[in-house]
Amino acid sequence: MHEFSVTKSLVDLCNNEAKKNNFSNIYKIYLKIGKFTGFSPDSICFYFEHLKPNTKCKDAEIIFSEVPIRIKCTDCGKESEIEEPILVCPECGKMTIEVISGREFYVESIEGE
Amino acid sequence: MKRVKVLKSVLVSNMQRAQENRREFDRMNSLVINIIASPGAGKTSVIERIVEYFKKKRKILVIEGDIRGQIDSKRLAKLGVDVIQINTVTACHLDAFMTAQVLPKIDKKYNLILIENVGNLVCPAEFEIGEDYKLAILSTPEGDDKPLKYPLLFYLARVVVINKCDLLPYVDFSKERAKKNILRENSKARIFEVSAKTGDGFGKFCSFLEKELNAKKKKG
Ligand SMILES: Nc1nc2c(ncn2[C@@H]2O[C@H](COP(=O)(O)OP(=O)(O)O)[C@@H](O)[C@H]2O)c(=O)[nH]1
Ligand SMILES: [Mg+2]
Ligand SMILES: [Zn+2]
Repeated sequence: MHEFSVTKSLVDLCNNEAKKNNFSNIYKIYLKIGKFTGFSPDSICFYFEHLKPNTKCKDAEIIFSEVPIRIKCTDCGKESEIEEPILVCPECGKMTIEVISGREFYVESIEGE
Repeated sequence: MKRVKVLKSVLVSNMQRAQENRREFDRMNSLVINIIASPGAGKTSVIERIVEYFKKKRKILVIEGDIRGQIDSKRLAKLGVDVIQINTVTACHLDAFMTAQVLPKIDKKYNLILIENVGNLVCPAEFEIGEDYKLAILSTPEGDDKPLKYPLLFYLARVVVINKCDLLPYVDFSKERAKKNILRENSKARIFEVSAKTGDGFGKFCSFLEKELNAKKKKG
């Protein structure tokens, strides 16, 4: 459900960026979404279809690109990619972890004219 | 056709508004805690205990975020604490803009502002509202695996309160496993074990909060 307000922000953000670049139409939105966020591409697409009419996004599609979760152990210094967000170092088993990536949720670029 | 870089967070407007809220709260010198848990975990009950503990010593404001109704506000008003209600209507979480709407209604300086977010372990975690930090409540009937199922909240929460410890003899919940699972998401989490029903554990938990309040005072 929270994807509704988030998708609304996405459409607003893209419309603003289109204005800045003198685009009358956006065709593609390249969206980066980390695997350690609570947002689902499916629900974003669902709400996007409802929200895009009568905006500069009306002909746009969203190209999602998932960002894996990468962590760094501050104890042994190892960097690892993990599937599930369980913040334990796969090398040494310690929980002294910094999350390097996976929390991304941003518009990388837009394509339009 | 042209492709242009944007590199902006989708949540940027919420983040900016949360930053403005935080500045306002800092001006008032209030410690602001965003309380997040599932429905029925005991958010309101824990708040009641905190209010009882600090009532005579500190000025407290409770902000109640609920989808609808005023049940919790009325419960808290009985304790003689100031309460402001936000009804989110359709949203499953509080965001920075909803929180901003209550700012003009805050007409006193409060030492502590407790914000009860909408009962939900997923959505509220993603939306900053201007808090100093998030406090997650995990109640024993929910199971000790919940930190691993809702990792983001536990990763982001600075304090985790394990509530309903009075029910430990009746539920399949291991405190050790729960703590281990919390630390696997956040090795720096401060964990407290309480029962809002019996009051157990609140002495320790509230003296921790008292230290935080003093620290905030010095900073301001
Ligand atoms: N046994 C027990 N029940 C509790 C405890 N804390 C809260 N409850 C009960 O759990 C239910 C939900 O509590 P409430 O504070 O309304 O939860 P909220 O929805 O998270 O605000 C109520 O019936 C409370 O009386 C506790 O520590 N032990
Ligand atoms: Mg409640
Ligand atoms: Zn390590």
